[in-house]
Amino acid sequence: MSSLSQILARRVLLVTGKGGVGKTTMTAAIARQAAAAGKRVLAAEISYESPQSDAGEATLTSPLAVALGTSPLVDEPRLVAHDAPTGLLSAARLSPLAGHLKFLRDTLPVRLLADAAMKSAAVRRFFIAAPTLAELGIVYRLLDLLDQTRAGGAPEWDLVVCDLPATGHALALAQVPQALVSILRAGPIHAAAQRGLEVLRDRARTTSVLVTLPEPLPVSEAIELHDGLHKLAIDCALVVLNRVPPNPFTPDERAAIERIVPDRSRMLGARRLPRIDRANAAHDRLARELALPVRVVREIEDDVVARVGRALAEGAS
Amino acid sequence: MNERRPSSPGSKRNGNRAPYVAKLLAEKKVVVCCGAGGVGKTTTAAALGLGAAMLGRKALVLTIDPARRLAEAIGNPEAARAPVPVPDTRLAASGVRGTLATWMVDPRVVFEQMVRRLTHDEAQANAILQNRIYRALADLVAGMQEYTAAEALYGFVESGDYDIVILDTPPSRNALDFLEAPRKLSLFLDERIVGVFLPGSGGGGIFRNRARQIVTGVFTRVFGEGFFDEVQQFLAAFSGMFSSMRSHAESVRTLLKSDASSFLVVTSPEPAALAEAAHLEKTLTNEMLLPFHGFVLNRSWAYTRGLASPSDIVLPPGASRVDHAALAKLELLAESELKLAERDRKLLAQLRDHTPVGQAVATPQLDGDIDFAALMLIADSLVSPAPVEDALDNR
Repeated sequence: MSSLSQILARRVLLVTGKGGVGKTTMTAAIARQAAAAGKRVLAAEISYESPQSDAGEATLTSPLAVALGTSPLVDEPRLVAHDAPTGLLSAARLSPLAGHLKFLRDTLPVRLLADAAMKSAAVRRFFIAAPTLAELGIVYRLLDLLDQTRAGGAPEWDLVVCDLPATGHALALAQVPQALVSILRAGPIHAAAQRGLEVLRDRARTTSVLVTLPEPLPVSEAIELHDGLHKLAIDCALVVLNRVPPNPFTPDERAAIERIVPDRSRMLGARRLPRIDRANAAHDRLARELALPVRVVREIEDDVVARVGRALAEGAS
Repeated sequence: MNERRPSSPGSKRNGNRAPYVAKLLAEKKVVVCCGAGGVGKTTTAAALGLGAAMLGRKALVLTIDPARRLAEAIGNPEAARAPVPVPDTRLAASGVRGTLATWMVDPRVVFEQMVRRLTHDEAQANAILQNRIYRALADLVAGMQEYTAAEALYGFVESGDYDIVILDTPPSRNALDFLEAPRKLSLFLDERIVGVFLPGSGGGGIFRNRARQIVTGVFTRVFGEGFFDEVQQFLAAFSGMFSSMRSHAESVRTLLKSDASSFLVVTSPEPAALAEAAHLEKTLTNEMLLPFHGFVLNRSWAYTRGLASPSDIVLPPGASRVDHAALAKLELLAESELKLAERDRKLLAQLRDHTPVGQAVATPQLDGDIDFAALMLIADSLVSPAPVEDALDNR
């Protein structure tokens, strides 16, 4: 069993799950929690840039920045001022480009040569377009952040909480180093990929949190993702069952409803009962099939209309 | 490209009644569903395909999501090397005149077909397909879905086997990545760039030779001696295909920008999904100049017409305390459901106001897993949407 404090004792926390399940919100919440517990935390968002954007430029959409209530994230970690009285919470994006530059600087004998190489359209385009190298760049950047130290030698970041992209890409983050290690038998990329794998697979340093929704298909997918992580030898510490609808009924009351309301699919209010049942079934299935603690997060109905109004207004500008 | 058509079908006022989506499904060759993850994009794509088949067209739905929702809903096998038709008997039983086939895009198959199509002979094709680097790349999930989605779409449209192809976009962080993929590939395949990596292709003058020296130096150091040779072999084997692949990528872009294509943004009433939808609309319209034609508000509570209310239930005189408590709680749920319905109608109105060229339509909240019957319901609500506003008058 993993209590939250045990989870937060790692260096890397991968927040993963299918798209739309609330990973970003969970990343922000966990990062805040860790900062409140006295850790120096970096909340990180993975960003694959398009070929024309530059390293320093903020990404267009930065959902994690929105969740943290801060300005769009850039490669260099910045303190999240708002809502973080501890001063321990920072945020950054993990982009392939920053990793590539660092990699070339580490690998090539002269720093100038690395900078020149990244300025060369051929090298740059190769690194961006070759499918595996983007993931490797991200892993390399993560390693770089883990290696950073403060004066005195303590790590700059006790914990990096990563908001991983959708399922396929999340698995690729570990799959890619694995593939590279097998393709390249030696050389600097082999070494970097090997190190990335070591960190990702070391349960003492890295674990993952699986976020899912209380519906049958998302639960099936969460279980598949868990198996995928397991095959890649990445630890998983916790399942978060998000947006669970509140169940106001006692079992007796629920039985009474079945009696009182015969046609429940045509009754206001009763249309929501099957969702509650599916949520219960989802919880039971996760608990049964995964040997992991399941944490339930209740659904909140907030003022979506006002929010979308703002979002659309921004979109129109 | 994205011309504003004042005579777009359906005025705003009674827009929900106008068969706007039906018109798209009857006329377009390509419909692309974009949206954040988890909004039911795949289900919507399947329902749109079914809707097109209802209108008598030969429809193909391409899905990228390895989540297999579509396969489960339609009852088609997960892993197939080619599109699988939904049995005609099944469609006919539901009164569907056209045909519907679905395929979960398999990047390996798409790549292999592309290699075979673009190479001159069997030996060259095999040389590529058996190259160690090619095989390792083709096995990776990441990125490949984006590259192959556009390629598969184009291949099927060109084949002429289908009247309309509906594409469910890949589940990447940026839902529009797949549109960039062909361009990214063509950037990469620019001969001036790739040529630098190719061994002894000669010509090109001093500048190019120097560039090659720098690149060779960097890459030999980075990848190790042996691997760089392999990359060169790989690229050399591939190089004959580059110009066709590039022109292919261009054709995909032209097709998607043309009047034959239509982009729909799918969203659910979740805040994150709505924010992403607004962003997608902006990117499609303003930056990529693609034909954006409307929003689909998926899983909405907007439809409440004809529903009974728990407050109308009269308990018999001898009803227990538990019965009364249960009914009171059900009334609270009904109240909050009405709030959701109102919220979704407002959302719909907002989305509609934000869609000068196209429309916004809602699909109903359905129970549990999506099966074929549920898919028919959604398709029906897209092709001939019920007027949700009338429901407001009931309350």
